[in-house]
Amino acid sequence: MDDDEAIARSLTGDLAAYEALVTRYSALAHRTAVMLGAGDEAQDVVQEAFVKAFRHLGSFRRDAPFRPWLLRIVANETHTLTRSRGRRSELALRLGATAETAAPDDPEGAAVGADRRTRLLAAVRDLPERERQAVVCRYFLQLTEAETAQVLGLPVGTVKSSTHRGLARLRKGVGNELA
Amino acid sequence: MNSPEPYDDLEAELLALGDLVDVPGPPPSDVAAAVRARLEPTTPNPPAELPRKVHREAKKRRGPARRARRPAGRRARWKVVAAVVVAVLAVTAATPQGRAAVTTILRLAGIEVEIGDTPPEPVTTRTPLPAERTVSPADLPELVGFAVRTPSRLGEPQRVTVADQGRVVSMYWPGGVRLDQFSGTVGPYFYKQLGPPWPDHVMVGAYDAWWLPGEHPLGYIRRQDGTHVPLRQAASTLIWQQGTLNYRLEGAGDVDEAVAVATSLG
Repeated sequence: MDDDEAIARSLTGDLAAYEALVTRYSALAHRTAVMLGAGDEAQDVVQEAFVKAFRHLGSFRRDAPFRPWLLRIVANETHTLTRSRGRRSELALRLGATAETAAPDDPEGAAVGADRRTRLLAAVRDLPERERQAVVCRYFLQLTEAETAQVLGLPVGTVKSSTHRGLARLRKGVGNELA
Repeated sequence: MNSPEPYDDLEAELLALGDLVDVPGPPPSDVAAAVRARLEPTTPNPPAELPRKVHREAKKRRGPARRARRPAGRRARWKVVAAVVVAVLAVTAATPQGRAAVTTILRLAGIEVEIGDTPPEPVTTRTPLPAERTVSPADLPELVGFAVRTPSRLGEPQRVTVADQGRVVSMYWPGGVRLDQFSGTVGPYFYKQLGPPWPDHVMVGAYDAWWLPGEHPLGYIRRQDGTHVPLRQAASTLIWQQGTLNYRLEGAGDVDEAVAVATSLG
């Protein structure tokens, strides 16, 4: 069952079809919520987003891709949550265990690499909100500029300039010693 | 701006970093089951038919009230299916997936209890009920379709939550004491897995009750394939039913103390 068929069946109220769609996009939705700052509440955000997506499915344009449409809802839910908490959304990310074993033959190089990655991650975390969100969508979630614009609800030009400014700031903060 | 060379490297570095960032989420099938549980009661309305105004109104009501919307159709369904099932014994042959370890399924006070011949594997994770959130006790009448009661023996709860669109109210007291109240006998039920011994029959005033001694896995919703999504490991629990309302009291000490607390339900 591809996305289009799952959506068509969901629109008739077929919950099993929608369940399949949720299963398919659950990990990406969760990753997006966490990356955009939902923190511990990502699970709740994702559930809420899928419930909303189902209720709004009638407004989804069937010739468009489902992924950015869904992630827009996840981003909106995350935004609502962080705004209701009355503070800047937080990017609480940590590097997976694989990051430490990337270069087993070269422990010293690996240590330098790990340190560089930790600092780069911290620098991304400290970016101004819009720049951080653009950078996170473009590189951590690997969305295109057009998808990023749709997910964040911004014009493509704004995504381009925010990404550009964010990258410049990162380069200044972390430096180019390994680049 | 600097030369484009390091710029490209930085982009590549960020892409690689993104791959290394660990974002552990819940199993997708559990998310799907939880979402389905929340959509279940409203399925008679296909999504496209929801009028626009409702969306806008729902958007305006930020925060707790936002999730409280309960369609009239569901209430009607509760009334229709308010038939009470107490202690239905369904013996094994019907067990799905040939899980040989399960010997008996009991349905007691809105709770399905699977009793196997060996103690079940303990659940090591903790998952909240679908859309569980803390509420003010004063808001309960607005959020829940049944009368919520508090056991006077325990005093005011430390925290009160509502879950699954007003289906389940949970109260918490210090020391891991927890009382869940939920209406009707329509699924989703709570699910419990037990090894021997069988639950003990006791009385809470005039009502039949069952004492489930010892820790056991607790679930609430099913996946598409019929298996249960585990919530957490529950402590000793007393379950009983008064009219169409079901109660489960967890962590209140021994059976005598649990019955005393249950009897004090105001």
